[in-house]
Amino acid sequence: MKILLVSLYHPELVRGGAQQIAYELFQGLKQVPDVEVILLASIDHAAPALFKSGARITGFDGRPGEFLFLSREYDYAWEKTANVQLVESFKEFLQLTQPDVVHFHHFLTFGIDLLTLTRRVLPGVKIVFTAHEFLTICAANGHMVRRTDQSLCSRASAVRCHQCLPERPPEHYFMREMWMKTHLAVVDRFTTPSRFMIDQFAEWGLPREKFAHVANGQALAPRRALAASTREKRNRFGFFGQLVDVKGVQVILEAVALLRADGFTDFVVEINGDNIQFATPKRRDEIEAFMAEEEQRPRDERNVFLNGSYHHDQLASRMARVDWCIVPSIWWEIFCLVISEAWNYGRPVIASNAGGPAERITDDVDGLLFELGDARALAETMRRACTEDRLWDRLAAGIKPIPDRTHMVRQFLDVYRDGKNAARLAAE
Amino acid sequence: MIEKSMVSAEKLGAAFDEEVYLRLNPDVRVAVSAGSFHSGRDHYERFGRIEGRPFRLNKTVARDRVVMSGDIDAPREKPKVAGGALDTVKISQSGGIFVVGWVNDTLDRLDSLDLYFPNWSISFDAANLARLRRPDAEAALGSVAQHPYGFSGFIFAARRLPGGICNAVLRLKSGAEASFMVTAETLEDDVLRSIALGHLASVQYFGNPYFEAVVAIEHSIGAQMVDFNKMLSRRAVNAPYVERFGRAGRNYKASIIVCLYGRAEYMFLQNAMFSRQPGIEDYEFIYVCNSPQIAEPLLKEAKLCAHIYGIDMSVVILNSNGGFGAANNIAAEYASSPRVVIMNPDVFPREDSWVRKHSALLESLAAEQTDLFGAPLYYDDGSLMHAGMYFDVDTVPSFAKNQKTETRILRVEHYGKGAPPETAQFVRPRPVPAVTGAFMSVAKSWFEKLGGFTQDYVFGHYEDADLCLKSIQAGRLPWLHDVRLWHLEGKGSTRRTEHEGGSIVNRWLFTHSWDEVVRDGLMGPEPSREGFGQARRVAAPSPAAPALVAPAREPVRVSAKMKGRKLK
Repeated sequence: MKILLVSLYHPELVRGGAQQIAYELFQGLKQVPDVEVILLASIDHAAPALFKSGARITGFDGRPGEFLFLSREYDYAWEKTANVQLVESFKEFLQLTQPDVVHFHHFLTFGIDLLTLTRRVLPGVKIVFTAHEFLTICAANGHMVRRTDQSLCSRASAVRCHQCLPERPPEHYFMREMWMKTHLAVVDRFTTPSRFMIDQFAEWGLPREKFAHVANGQALAPRRALAASTREKRNRFGFFGQLVDVKGVQVILEAVALLRADGFTDFVVEINGDNIQFATPKRRDEIEAFMAEEEQRPRDERNVFLNGSYHHDQLASRMARVDWCIVPSIWWEIFCLVISEAWNYGRPVIASNAGGPAERITDDVDGLLFELGDARALAETMRRACTEDRLWDRLAAGIKPIPDRTHMVRQFLDVYRDGKNAARLAAE
Repeated sequence: MIEKSMVSAEKLGAAFDEEVYLRLNPDVRVAVSAGSFHSGRDHYERFGRIEGRPFRLNKTVARDRVVMSGDIDAPREKPKVAGGALDTVKISQSGGIFVVGWVNDTLDRLDSLDLYFPNWSISFDAANLARLRRPDAEAALGSVAQHPYGFSGFIFAARRLPGGICNAVLRLKSGAEASFMVTAETLEDDVLRSIALGHLASVQYFGNPYFEAVVAIEHSIGAQMVDFNKMLSRRAVNAPYVERFGRAGRNYKASIIVCLYGRAEYMFLQNAMFSRQPGIEDYEFIYVCNSPQIAEPLLKEAKLCAHIYGIDMSVVILNSNGGFGAANNIAAEYASSPRVVIMNPDVFPREDSWVRKHSALLESLAAEQTDLFGAPLYYDDGSLMHAGMYFDVDTVPSFAKNQKTETRILRVEHYGKGAPPETAQFVRPRPVPAVTGAFMSVAKSWFEKLGGFTQDYVFGHYEDADLCLKSIQAGRLPWLHDVRLWHLEGKGSTRRTEHEGGSIVNRWLFTHSWDEVVRDGLMGPEPSREGFGQARRVAAPSPAAPALVAPAREPVRVSAKMKGRKLK
């Protein structure tokens, strides 16, 4: 069986969950006998040196089976490219490689209409589409967070989308939905890393029976009990992720302020991550102002430390510095690889009670959930985590095995082969 | 004609009027002002005589034609000076002449506006000028009178005319006049059309602009503008660029013609939506583009669509905006099927089997019901946008100049606007007075017999109703059949001020052309003419419905030739 994986970005070039999982799958499938796998990962002009003159698709850094799709002229309003040669190259790539399965891990930077092109070029091919967020439904970055009041959105509509993005009329969003559904109609199988997403897509109108739940699996280092587990106090919290609005780091900072105001200061928060340049100006100002003030404090009075970005190889050492991992996302966090990583190092997770985290974490069994976006609720949860006797030990002991790559590969192979196990996968 | 003659110095004597000579020869006035000559006489003596330049006006005074001077030797009283100004004179390459100004003629009415260029001149009859409100003039004059001080005029001379410096004279009934020297800007024809129409739509009137704008153009400007526009439309469709995508040389069941203006993106949306329809392989699309500036992205989209959707398609690109009627007519010439389907770019099938249903109608119903038909169209919110059209009239009395007049403007209304989607009385098959050009399915032979869309309308509006009225006059009632479509009204193109001006001209033209016909049993949502009443009782398609022959009354067609344009 020949499988073509289509990935938004190459994780070597641009970090992100969707491309990380696509690459995990690529690596895993390479180990499977009788399976040939090709990776076609997009890049954009963030890596201009890789745009070879006249080329639309190239190899990547001498790696067998890995190709780059040199995206250009991308129309974010309609999620399509306007570049004829790029589309012709994709078409030719399909004709040359003749895959049995084309597995789209995203359409962004490629174009949603390339799904239809794939069906037209290879009528018998199995098309699999993994949704890593709700971009097909939601034009506001696929987050399904209402820009009017930051509440979670449970239903897109022409008027509601226009309220979030008023620069376009309701008719645009009406057309956008038809446009998306027209192309999604050629997909044989959808997969989502979390079960709640299936409900969202089914309510939007996609056929539920086409969906399967395949959790994101990673080939992490064997689970290790880090030195931190012998500490008396469990008052060190870590944030791992991008400093953009929906990841909710501002909720932590607000919770810290509330705890201080209540006179509780015996704790530390370490923030690991970057990309603050992608935050809204308002949020960026808030975070930077907080950190500037924090840095003015005497070191023994500081509660928050900004460690900056980290490479995957540094994850163990960063995790070793904390007892708890906080996931304060204010959107439908889809799966949250950070939970897997925290669990892999024996760290219980304190997370917002929505989306993937709410699905994965059992409150008070293997972690703690708090009301999404509620800084007071997070502050109380942090205080409890610091002060409740044996809580950390009990929750750490409850941590479940994390989905691994091998299991994920097996599940996807079931999806690719005939879908007979779809019902089981959906139920898992 | 302006008198040109060689006159001896002795004869010239007192016959030479310095002012008339300078007026008739504005380039000489500039040269004198610049110090190149001592006077107009100096110029005449040195050059003008040899050149045969005019130095006096004809004795006969004619309206709308060149006015010659009177007896300059006769003693006469110096006329009073008229208050006013000429703001602009614009001339286009093919002879469109557009003027804007104001004049204080509350008591002494404006009689004419005369323009004298080197070697040509023209007089605008005041009765043919549009009179407008000018708040700036009202303020300058301290006037509280409801008087339209402003004016604009448009004449299509249909010949090349040089612009440049001219003498302009505002002449009142009393003989009082004001003279100005202005420079007439020369523009491209379509630019002048945009300016003149945009002006028409943006100026102020006393009273309701919906009526007053039509009144303002009905004496002359409307007809002149129609003639000018027809010339531009003919030029726009001349030698279009045509490219074929997909298969060629086939015969199809229908050719869907889509007229694009300003935006290319609806091509890929329509291709995507229709490509999933069973039976679409028997249809072709013909996109005709009125915006040559989007040719490059449009052709790129067409190539992309050919790769991704594979619908057989032609793209016809006009060299300028020929308007809805001319564009669709030229596109129909490229159709390889016995049926043309006129469709807006923002119209999409509302059901998965739309193409099959449309084809089935053609195969199962009599020609009387399918030669020309429309369909219910729906808003994106799910409600009915409309299901057929009918005619109504707006009437407003006027008592200007102590005379009672009545202005009638035909209005096209829509059945079921905003109604619940399944309202049977609207969506049931039936004959209707008209169907919208947003979706119109017409037998090609019938389309050709009717002469296609009338190309007199400016940019686009009313051509659909006009075609339906032509069909009724020729013996076929338009029908409405239940093949539903989405229509994102007005989202498929951009609308600018000149389009609003075009609507004013079209409103006048449509009323002028069809008022008499519509009055004869086609007025209102339940027209009394034979065939409609019978159809109201029909609940389902009736293949045996008879052809309906209406009294032969031809529409009134207008031409500037009917009006008093005179140019020398």
